[in-house]
Amino acid sequence: MANKQHMVQVQTENNENGQNYAIEMRGITKTFGSVVANKGVNLTVKSGEILALLGENGSGKTTLMNMLSGIYKPDEGSIFINGSEVSIDSPEDSKKYGIGMVHQHFKLVDVFSAADNIWMGRENPGFVLKNERHSAIEALASTFGFELDPRKKVYNMSVSEKQTLEIVKVLCYGAKIIILDEPTAVLTVQEIEKLFSVLRRMKEEGHAIIIITHKLNEVMDISDRVAILRKGEYITTVNTSETNEQELTEYMVGRKVDLNIDRPVVETTRPLLEVRDLCINNDEGATAIDNVSFYIRGGEILGVAGIAGCGQKELCEAIAGLRPIKSGQMIHKGDNIVGLSPKQILEKGISMSFVPEDRLGMGLAPSMSIVDNMLLKNYRDCKGPFVDRKSGRADAMQVIKDLEVVTPSADTPVRRLSGGNVQKVLLGREIKAGPNVIVTAYPVRGLDINSSYMIYDILNKQKTDGVGVLFVGEDLDVMMALCDKIMVLCHGKLMGVVHAHKTTKEELGLMMTGALDLKDKYEDKPAGIAKDTRFGEQEAKEA
Amino acid sequence: MGFHIVKRDNCPLWQKCCLYIGAVLLAVVIGGIVLLSIGVNPIKYYTRMFTMGMIGNRIAHVTFMNYLKKLVPLVITSIALSLAFKMRFWNIGGEGQFIMGAIASGFVALKWGNVLPMWLSLIIMCVAAMLAAGLYGLIAAWFKVRFSTNETLMTLMLNYIALHFLMFLSERKEDWNFFLDETSARPKFASFSQFVKMPTIKIGAKFELNICVIIAVLVGVLVFLYLKYTKQGYEISVIGDSVGTASYAGMNVKRIILRTVFLSAALIGLAAACRVGTAGILSTSITEDVGWTGIIVAWLAKLNTGIIFLASALICVLQQGSEVAASSFSQVSSSFANMLQGLILFLVLAADFFTRFRIARAKKGEKNNG
Repeated sequence: MANKQHMVQVQTENNENGQNYAIEMRGITKTFGSVVANKGVNLTVKSGEILALLGENGSGKTTLMNMLSGIYKPDEGSIFINGSEVSIDSPEDSKKYGIGMVHQHFKLVDVFSAADNIWMGRENPGFVLKNERHSAIEALASTFGFELDPRKKVYNMSVSEKQTLEIVKVLCYGAKIIILDEPTAVLTVQEIEKLFSVLRRMKEEGHAIIIITHKLNEVMDISDRVAILRKGEYITTVNTSETNEQELTEYMVGRKVDLNIDRPVVETTRPLLEVRDLCINNDEGATAIDNVSFYIRGGEILGVAGIAGCGQKELCEAIAGLRPIKSGQMIHKGDNIVGLSPKQILEKGISMSFVPEDRLGMGLAPSMSIVDNMLLKNYRDCKGPFVDRKSGRADAMQVIKDLEVVTPSADTPVRRLSGGNVQKVLLGREIKAGPNVIVTAYPVRGLDINSSYMIYDILNKQKTDGVGVLFVGEDLDVMMALCDKIMVLCHGKLMGVVHAHKTTKEELGLMMTGALDLKDKYEDKPAGIAKDTRFGEQEAKEA
Repeated sequence: MGFHIVKRDNCPLWQKCCLYIGAVLLAVVIGGIVLLSIGVNPIKYYTRMFTMGMIGNRIAHVTFMNYLKKLVPLVITSIALSLAFKMRFWNIGGEGQFIMGAIASGFVALKWGNVLPMWLSLIIMCVAAMLAAGLYGLIAAWFKVRFSTNETLMTLMLNYIALHFLMFLSERKEDWNFFLDETSARPKFASFSQFVKMPTIKIGAKFELNICVIIAVLVGVLVFLYLKYTKQGYEISVIGDSVGTASYAGMNVKRIILRTVFLSAALIGLAAACRVGTAGILSTSITEDVGWTGIIVAWLAKLNTGIIFLASALICVLQQGSEVAASSFSQVSSSFANMLQGLILFLVLAADFFTRFRIARAKKGEKNNG
């Protein structure tokens, strides 16, 4: 491994100030099997600049950044740092060259304190007393305007605190080039603003920053230049001040795209699903959902907004019958569904699809084929001991055709499909069953623009057909455009239900952090309780 | 210019076959080098080993019948284990379940073997063995679904309980202990009556096909169909893939786990009944380690029922052959088969790696634009 260290001084093209680029990647190609993740990509970043890396899903952004952080090695191409060609063979090399990456999924040790997480990876930790370590970290954090308690254990931290820790960590290792992979995906509006002001400060200090994001408004807000990838190929780099969102989308997708989300007006029915005073525990036995009431009518999309992990998952699982509830009531069309098995709830026409972070965990069996996954919910329906794969195949072909699923065949294992197609298969199966209530969590998680819009269309189609949709989402812009009403959760508590066309992002952000409580905005109508409720029908039936 | 490892997109079947066959051959070659180093001609040794000394042997048919006797319990056990493994239930308690099955069938044979007609006592033996082994397997499964204990540890520990129970029976000379031979002063297992013996079908002049071989083939076909085409088989693969998805689809995961583990252990009990029924006597080494070897076979075959037959045939040839060869090559102990078995497992796993990855050379990019 002697060649690891070699740094050949090569004269590279200088930028206008006569300075070398902080990073210059030339002709980078990387393939995985027959999949070309990056093809001849060129990328330059100056010191004191924020570069946004934009591209649809699967366009190779993360792969490209992983080559800078030493996780992958390029098949072809060369990387220059401050004008000298380098070969980055491992994350240690990357650290040595002053590159720090903040991954989308944090790489922290939960049971360690913030300081221990930072010190763990230091090159020459030396003998430093704990207190001195803490004050060193605090000093560093405050120069950039971070708030970080070095003593706090990671498992006690919120998502945004964890992210702060990750950034301070790479700064502490002396990184001059900082890569952030979708840093805003899990943050609230207020937290994003805070992050951006810190990034600007870092830029002033002369750091080079690469930020990967899907959200165009953020790109316009924070970046100096934008580099665009499409299907692994380098398209162009533009100055942010000379472009707009529409143009960026066209570069990204390769054609004109209508960025408006439809919100058809549909006549709504009486509440299909009503939830009253619901309390649910999480896996650890702590309260996940605390006294929440809401209702869904047929023909409307009810959005659920909240910071990641404030009870969305538990709520979805409870509705689907997968998680026991502590107290409260759930009625569907006047029938009590508390205590029913998942199978019985399914038969009532309530469909739940939850797309977890790894996108495969719940709802699909990753190693099984599309056909077998189609059968998941109705394999019992046919008579006899054998599975009816013929109808499963027909369903699979139908979904592949209707939703334009890209797959070699219906027998391909689901895990070999790309994220968007996996989600289409999942949603396709749910809709195939003809539900009257759809509970869907993060259906567009990690999807590119095209696939996302397709999913929105599917949901709108269901809504016009009179289905009630509960949409647990992340992106407030999308929720405000797609949903009819939005209910906001904060630490499992209901903060109110607002009309999507009347609210603002700021209002939602405040509600998500618990600073604004609109539960009792109207005296005559508490949030989440319908005037034409079906509660009482059940007792009438029983009598 | 460095080399690095890249993921393969897909690996054609012929390439996979070549890799696996190559792995087995490489294991044989390495074994040959070991043989050379202790002064044994590997070609002569291997010829004797892989033919199990059957060439030019007047009693070759007996050798082959003995070979089948060894093969049957291994095949059935491996298939049974693959059933549980498919569900990601790591049943490493094959030994214990086998022993419990053996004790149960021994119980039937010694207690009623003289009284009942042969076909009835054999059927009762099989059923008793399946029940005993199945229930024994159910212990670990029940603890798993009830208290989410680790099934690997549970089944492992239960192996030793079963083994020591059998040893207790073999050593305790008491009036109640009808497992022992009453005529012998020394504690020793009693032989079954001559009426409790798995029947054989005569093929040709000398060869007799034990009915257990037919049972093994039947079990193989049934389990294959069960896993591939039935609803229960479908449930097993969904649970093996993702427990979350299974319960989300409305499956009763706990019941399915209990059912499948019972089935898996019961089949191991059937293997024990076959073994006991052909041996006609219990012994503390009745399992011949099939509970362990079965795990290796199931994994070598990647839980594929058809390939389990091939893999266990190969492993059995190694074991039987090395014993035969040990009689003419005194320097090489019969444990040579174990070494070869380990080598094969190692190299097949390595071949596995190459079906998923390949080694590629890094190229320099052209510096045309910057």
